[in-house]
Amino acid sequence: MGMQEPMDQSQLHPMEPDTKTLHVVTMVEAINMALHRAMSADPSVVVLGEDVATNGGVFRATVDLKQRFGCKRVMDTPLAETLIAGISVGMAAQNLRPVAEIQFMGFIYAAVEHMVSHAARLRNRTRGRLHCPMVLRAPYGGGIHAPEHHSESTEALFAHIPGLRVVVPSSPTRAYGLLISAIEDPDPVVFLEPKRVYRMVKQEIFDDGVGLPLDTCYTLKQGNDITLISWGAMVHETLQAAQQLEQKGYSVEVIDVATLSPMDTDTLVASVEKTGRALVIQEAARHGGIASEICATLQEQAFRHLKAPVARVTGFDIPMPYFKNEHIYMPTVDDIVAKAITVLEAI
Amino acid sequence: MKYFKLPDLGEGLQEAEIVEWHAKEGNQVHTGDTLVSVETAKAIVDIPSPQDGIIAACFGKEGDLVHIGEPLLEFQGEQQEDSGTVVGKMQSAETHSEREQFTIGSPYRNDCTVALATPAIKALAKRLQVDISALRGSGNHNMITAEDLENAAKLNQQHGKAIPLKGVRRSMARNMAKAHAEVVKVTIQDDVDIHTWNQGEDITMRLVRAMGCGCRSEPNLNAWYESENDSLRIIEQVDIGIAVDTPDGLFVPVLRNITARSNEDLRDGLNCLREDVKNRTIPPKEMTGATITLSNFGTIAGRYGNPIIVPPSVAILGAGKCYSQVVETDHGFTGHRFLPLSFSFDHRVITGGEAARFLRAVMDDLSAEN
Repeated sequence: MGMQEPMDQSQLHPMEPDTKTLHVVTMVEAINMALHRAMSADPSVVVLGEDVATNGGVFRATVDLKQRFGCKRVMDTPLAETLIAGISVGMAAQNLRPVAEIQFMGFIYAAVEHMVSHAARLRNRTRGRLHCPMVLRAPYGGGIHAPEHHSESTEALFAHIPGLRVVVPSSPTRAYGLLISAIEDPDPVVFLEPKRVYRMVKQEIFDDGVGLPLDTCYTLKQGNDITLISWGAMVHETLQAAQQLEQKGYSVEVIDVATLSPMDTDTLVASVEKTGRALVIQEAARHGGIASEICATLQEQAFRHLKAPVARVTGFDIPMPYFKNEHIYMPTVDDIVAKAITVLEAI
Repeated sequence: MKYFKLPDLGEGLQEAEIVEWHAKEGNQVHTGDTLVSVETAKAIVDIPSPQDGIIAACFGKEGDLVHIGEPLLEFQGEQQEDSGTVVGKMQSAETHSEREQFTIGSPYRNDCTVALATPAIKALAKRLQVDISALRGSGNHNMITAEDLENAAKLNQQHGKAIPLKGVRRSMARNMAKAHAEVVKVTIQDDVDIHTWNQGEDITMRLVRAMGCGCRSEPNLNAWYESENDSLRIIEQVDIGIAVDTPDGLFVPVLRNITARSNEDLRDGLNCLREDVKNRTIPPKEMTGATITLSNFGTIAGRYGNPIIVPPSVAILGAGKCYSQVVETDHGFTGHRFLPLSFSFDHRVITGGEAARFLRAVMDDLSAEN
């Protein structure tokens, strides 16, 4: 006892944005780097959540933040998601920029009340007098053999709420850039991190503090025969499927939606107007999902250009199975290739 | 492995007491070396090292109780990646990619030119065997309508199908339309007296030579006009594009550096190019880079023409069919052979005077005795 809690050293030893050094990082390291950068750049940024301070986060996303920025800016909370979201809304309304972590998306539902009833509406309710610059981070998605409640993809719940921005990075590069922008955004952002990708790939990135835009999709690969649309962890299966389709002689375009709401439909429509064929890939259950919304938009706006019905590869409309059967639920590269070929050969 | 934890000693025992450490911090140990002796409820057990390594720290003193799964000691060396206290199994990156390449948003502007049709119209088109890619729709947003399809089907029935242009013919259509839209062309025509020519004179070679003389007299005609930045690139070497007619369409292979080569060499070169064109084996690079063009259409028929200039070159000479005419000479009336010439130039960058002087120089060379 009597251990001295660390104080904020960021003003004592400021960290300058570094545009020269390339860091080879995983997605979770990129998130940690972005949090360090955002906290250095803006003293109003605070981090809170379960085990985020002393432990450094169960996935290590917030590691070393407390040591550097002190216990007043990096706070362990009780196991109470309602409280985490609620005090974040309060902090945000009073000129702080809280970045709250929900340990797993499976525990986010207790926080929904504050996100939907307050965070999403604060600007509208006060006619712009108050706004809510908070980020609610949560690891989500399956494929890591976790127990119940730890594997679902329920991004559509949040994407349905006007006033919330829902952002899903799919690579270390976009995790860094999008998180920087999410923290700078003046309104609430639900930032969903595909935890299967946390340590799956490493990329070279600069810790330059430069954000990536939140109002756009990202075209990862250009092609002419079919547009594959995905986000989050499924982008990786989608890219592998694209590679297999190219070996079969098709020219494939791949788009990472990245921001699910509000969605950049212009990029999707422009691509499908060129290719005439589209396949949407999501890990989440099918009914009422983001893929359904994209399909509806494409048929409304690109109808005259379509050569085949827009198709979907999705999870099933069942609770996520326990980890033994998880692989049966998850869309695979083979699923994507097979469905893409039916779209390519439809007419 | 970084931490070595107390292994399950069997017999359902959950804990053990440290009796004696056999290794200390900083010791080098090998696999199988006894690290520590612990006493369970039943026996004293020596615990062997699971690996080679240097011990960084020992946890617990003699007499302390440790539970299964608690760390006993820490090895030095490579820091194991700390993936946190995770439920589940994380996939780790084996390798890394370089900077990720992607486009923010869409790389396209909306300049789509495909035929627009609803699925019902596409189905109807299939039934009527109409190729909708060749149609322009008359409906809203240029959508193809059922009426468009019926009209197209009727036309096909009466006159047979239109065959879409391909390859050389399609590029001819595009290049000519572009040239016609862009170039401000003027054509001047004249006839040159060639009565001095020997029997069986090589007309094409004479024309090639004469164009070299024309370029020497008026270098501006051997040039490329780069209209997008309003600049004229006057070129020293004369590379003549020679129009060759084939059943597949018009080819224009390039005869290079004509002023520096002998007649025989040029003739061989031209024969080679013609043969390659005929066999369709000519490489694309042999058909690019002409600085001026010759069309010898008179070998087939036609006295005058108004040849089209293909940008960026600025001039083309057309030679018509030779004819004989009665002329008055110092020795009375006699028949002479004439070669009619049609010379087109781009009036945006070439003056009428320059063009006329070029033609004069060409004619002087042609009328001279070989």
